[in-house]
This record gives sequence, C-alpha cells and structure tokens, in this order.
Amino acid sequence: MLWQIIKKQALILLRNPVQILLLLGLPIILITILGTALSNWMDGESIEINVKVAMIEQEDEEKQVNQFISDIESGVIPETAIEMIKETAPQIAPIGILKDSVFKSEELANMIDLHEAKPSEKEELLDDSSFAAVIEVPENFTYDTLQTIMLHEDISPELRVYHNEQQEIGANIVSDILTQFQEQMTFGVFLSEKGIDLDAIQIDTNELPGEVKRINQGNPISSKDYYTIGMAVMNVLFMATAIGWISFHEKATHVFDRVIIANVSKWIYFLGILLSGMIFAFIQLLVLFSFAWIVFDVTWPDLTSFLIVSLFISISVGGLTVLLAAISYRLNSENIIDFFGSVVVSLMAFIGGSFFPIGDSSKLLQTLGDLTPNGAGMSAYLTILRGEGISEVSHHLLYILGFAISSIIIGALSFPKRGASA
Amino acid sequence: MLELVDSTKSFKKVKAVKKLNMFIEKGEIVGLLGPNGAGKSTAISMLSSLMEPTSGDVRYCNKSILKNPAPLRKILGMVPQEIALYEDLTAIENLQFFGRLYRMKGKELQRKIDVILELIGLTDHRKDIVKKFSGGMKRRLNIGVALLHDPEVIIMDEPTVGIDPQSRNYILETVKRLNEERQMTVLYTSHYMEEVEFLCDRIYIMDKGNLIASGTKQEIKQILSAENTISIKADRWNDAFIASIESSPTIHRIKVEEKEITIVVPKEVNMFSELAKMAEQAGLELRSIDINSPTLEDVFLHLTGRALRD
Repeated sequence: MLWQIIKKQALILLRNPVQILLLLGLPIILITILGTALSNWMDGESIEINVKVAMIEQEDEEKQVNQFISDIESGVIPETAIEMIKETAPQIAPIGILKDSVFKSEELANMIDLHEAKPSEKEELLDDSSFAAVIEVPENFTYDTLQTIMLHEDISPELRVYHNEQQEIGANIVSDILTQFQEQMTFGVFLSEKGIDLDAIQIDTNELPGEVKRINQGNPISSKDYYTIGMAVMNVLFMATAIGWISFHEKATHVFDRVIIANVSKWIYFLGILLSGMIFAFIQLLVLFSFAWIVFDVTWPDLTSFLIVSLFISISVGGLTVLLAAISYRLNSENIIDFFGSVVVSLMAFIGGSFFPIGDSSKLLQTLGDLTPNGAGMSAYLTILRGEGISEVSHHLLYILGFAISSIIIGALSFPKRGASA
Repeated sequence: MLELVDSTKSFKKVKAVKKLNMFIEKGEIVGLLGPNGAGKSTAISMLSSLMEPTSGDVRYCNKSILKNPAPLRKILGMVPQEIALYEDLTAIENLQFFGRLYRMKGKELQRKIDVILELIGLTDHRKDIVKKFSGGMKRRLNIGVALLHDPEVIIMDEPTVGIDPQSRNYILETVKRLNEERQMTVLYTSHYMEEVEFLCDRIYIMDKGNLIASGTKQEIKQILSAENTISIKADRWNDAFIASIESSPTIHRIKVEEKEITIVVPKEVNMFSELAKMAEQAGLELRSIDINSPTLEDVFLHLTGRALRD
C-alpha cells in the first residue's frame, strides 16, 4: 500500500517538468553560476594582474659606480675603507637592485612587465596608455645614492615616476613597490650610519624553537564545494513544497476522500507522504551531489558520513512535507505551502548560509543558521567535506532529527480525522 | 440497508443538515434533490462515512458505522462531484492505483480494469494521460474508479455536471444497466430533474438543510394534485402583464423566464379567460397557454419557491 502511494507520487512528480526544473535544474544552474562567479572571493585566489612599467635611465649605472670609486680613490679616505667601498659599491647600486632584485624577482616577475627604454623614447612612452607607470632615473642618481649611503652625504636623490591615471591599480602597485624599496634603502643607510651589520638583525626562522602549526589542518573548501552544499540544502526544501502541494491537491480534488473510503488508514496515507518526502529528497541530494562530483569534482573524503548526513536531512524534509500537508489540509488552503516555498525557504537559505557564509560575520548568526535544518545540514556537510569524522557533526544530526520528529508530531496532530471533515 | 437517523451536522454556528432521516434499500436507485446549499453534499459525506454527524447516527445493515466504518467502506463506491483522479497519470495508472487501495492485484486487478474500461468506453484511451481527456471522458473514468471493486452501493454526486449530452446519456444508461444487471444500489444527486425522473425509484428533496419531501416519483407528484401548472408563452413580456399576474389572488406561485411564465393555480380555477383579458389590457400578444401535468420541477418550485438550478 505504502509503495503504491510513493510510486504514484513519483509518477506525478516526474511528469511535472516545472517541478523537476525547480528541484534539479535550478540548483544545478545556481551551483554553476555562484560556484564559478564567486570562486576568486571564496577560494582566496588573487585577480590576475599584469602591470607594464617602463624605466628610462638618464645615466649609465656602471659608469656612475666607477666614477664614484675613482673619486673615492683620489680622496683622503684610508686605504682599507677604499677597498671596502670598491667591493661594496657595485653590489648596492640602486638601479641594478631595483631592476634585478625587485621588478625581476620571482614574486613580481609574473605581475610586472619591465620595459627598459632609451631617454629618446620618453615622450612616446608617456603617451602609451598601456604602461601603468614610467620611471625615470635622473643623471647622477646612482652616484648621489652611493654618496648618501657610503659617505653619509646629505643628498636626497629622487627617481621621477609618471603614473598613468587610467590604470589606477597598476600605478598604485608600482608606487607601493617603490615606497617599500625606498624604505629598505633608507633602513640600509641607517644601519650603515650606526655601524650595524645588516646580517646581525636577520632572523633565521630555522633556529626558532618549537614548530609552526597550521590553524586549520582540514581540506580547503572551494566555492564550488560551498555552493554545491548551499544550493543542495536549500533546494531540497522545495521537495517538501512539491510533495505537500501534490498532497493538498489530493484533498482539493477529493482523491483523499476516495483513499479514505477505500478503508486505507489515514496514518498509512500520512506515512506515504512522509516517506515520499524523505525518499525523493534523498534522491534529489544524490543527483545534485553526483552532478557536482562529475562536473566540479566535489568529492567526499568519507562517503558513509556523507550518506548519513544526507539521510538525516532527508528525514527533516519528510517531516516538513507532512507538516505542510497537514496544515494545508487543516486550513483547507494551499497558501501555507506557497508561503513556505516563496518566503520561508529563501529566509532559511539566507540564515542557513546557502548564499554566503553569513555565520562568519557573527556568532549569533552562526547559531541562528544552525537552528534551521538546512543550516545545520550545511554545517554538517562542510565539516565532513573538510575531512572531519561523523562524531564531529553529531550535534547537528541530533538537532536535525529533533526538528524532523517535532514536525512529524505537529503534522500528525494537525492531520484531519476523516476525509471531508477537514 | 443504509440510513441516516436524525442526523444533524453543524459547522460552527451553521447547521448544514438538520435532523435528517433517509434510507436506501438494496437494489434501489434513490434520488437526492436540492438547490446549492441545500445540504446534499453534507448528507452524502455522512452516509459515506467521510464525515461524522454532530448528532444522530449513520447505519449500515442496522449497525452504526460511526465507530467502525470498515464494513460499509468495503461495499461502497463513491463518485464525487469533482474529478477525483490524478490528471498526470494515465487511465490505467489511475485504475491500478485505486484498485490496489482495495487490495486488488495481479491478474484479478488487470481483468477488472479491462472490464471497467470496456464499461466506460475508454479501452482505446487506457494509456492516455487523463489531463488530455475531454470532460465527458474524465467523468466516465471518475465513475469507473468507483466501480472497480464491485461495490454493492454507489453514491454519485452530480456525476454529469459539465459534460456533453452524449456522455451524459452514456452515464445514465450505464447507471441504469448496473442497477438492473447487478442490483447495484444507487444514491444519485443531480441538478437535472430529468435525470432523476429517468433513473430514480424514490426521491428525497432537501432545502436549507431540511428534508422537505420524500417518496416515489408518483407520491411526490401527488403533492401537486390539487393544483395545475400553466405555461404561458410569448415573444416578450411587459411590466403591466407581469404586474397583473403577480397581483392575481388565485395564482399561488409564479416563475418568469425570457419567453415563458409558469404559474401554479388551484385546479378548480379556470385561468384561460382571465389570462387572455390580462394580456389584452397589457397590449401583449400571447403565443400559447398550456396546462401541464406536474413535473418534479413543479413540485420543487412548489415546495421551495425557487427553481432547482437557482
């Protein structure tokens, strides 16, 4: 008997393309859109940036360094100091460091495209909007910088930087890099003035005692993981409205009266609605997660735990289904089902974190979210997906079960005694 | 066999049915007449065990079914006024589902389904989705579902509403045949007086929750034995003529339609000359004046002061 009721509900559902679209098509579309569109934000990946920078040197750095050494040699500085300067000056030539150790460094090489240009190209480069910035090294910049660093002369050599206002982000990046470069050079001058060896203040992390621990050792959750779960737990609630609606329609068309006159216990019918909601919700979850597995590679570290969480969520959907059906029978109106489908599901999905991790912003919102069956289910799924065991989500599962049992009891109490007497 | 005993049904402060007594004997076709809101559907719901009376009793074979409706439900078929079918399923899927509710299965169910499909003329449409059926086909399947388990009693609540004359005749002939060939007991409600006259042995007439008449067709019609029903026809009416009729003290009741006025007068009164005089004074040309034998419609008009389909 029960099987006949469930089979009939399945046939009706399968022959309703709008419902199928809502239950399976819509979440798949939403997973695809949200998972893809918000992947940068969710996955912590940076936006791909490519900044073109031009550098014009009005000097020859090597000549400047040689000139500096030559002038030092002809001066009154002791021989030992001259030897040290001769050895160090080529190493701290600023433009060389800026070009090779900064712009062409491993960290920045993918982001910065450095174009070294001749002074005659300056006007042309300034007109070229593809460059985020043009850096001009003035004459004697290297010579003046070496004098400042090594002889502590009070000179302030400056680079000229032309920013392209049309490329605000790129120009800001270049500006930040140059500021940092300048701060490091100034720090170097300071240490040199005070006679401190730069190596002495460098911290070797290898020599620190203890170990470095990662705060979260679980598997990372990608945006597609997140939205697969978010949309699944939201859209599975629509199964309750779909079956609830079919059940109310049976009342409205007096099919339910026929069932009662056939001497079928109303509790068998009630159980039929409950099991239909549960089984179809479970199938819906399996279909959605199978899609996500095939298309987005959303895989579960522990399949058994995943199935247990899905089963509990399905039981709560079954509970909601009989609750909606019973109330609509009692009120003799499908308005409650429409209201649940159009307003309550959206609200529960929002609080439950289906659209974005709302719980991250507030402990209270997290608690509220976990008080919805979808929110608790989502938390359980995410925990399982991170690689935690089923025991870690037992409190969520108990809450979901409690919600389901409460819904079933209220539904049973509201269910009409006989057919037409409702 | 099946009876309502002093049954009252109240919904909050409204009494839908008041102390109703009604019985149906085995093999009878009993008609239940009444305008909308008369309490027919409530009476049917109580008789079919779908609704408990607020007071009174419902008995099947002299045993109350209020505590244990199972014996009645086993032999009862119900044809609701609504199309109580799954429109997304095929005819055969509907019959299979309802058949299994009656614990029928396998070859027995299949054989029964074939018989019913043949009886209601839907064998060629067995695999069609009900949604695509015409109104008449849906009505026939609605009846077929109620006949599937060979009920001894069938309650039909306006089974011919909104269908074409051909389907209507088909249904009436089917009901008649089921009664004659299988001695099926039928409770039949309808707005169509001619259906009740054609089918029913006995008739109950309800109005405003009360039973206002009951008996065989002849017994009911004898209610009007002291009166005549006169039908007056004309192409149009004018206010002066209607006012004259309405002011006549000998006319008991009057029903005005577009081209016909029906009046009920005492048998001994000769209205011919008076009606002709009224028409002449009102400047109205009459097409005919007929004295009719009373119909159930006349009885209904007589008892309730309104037409059955009002």
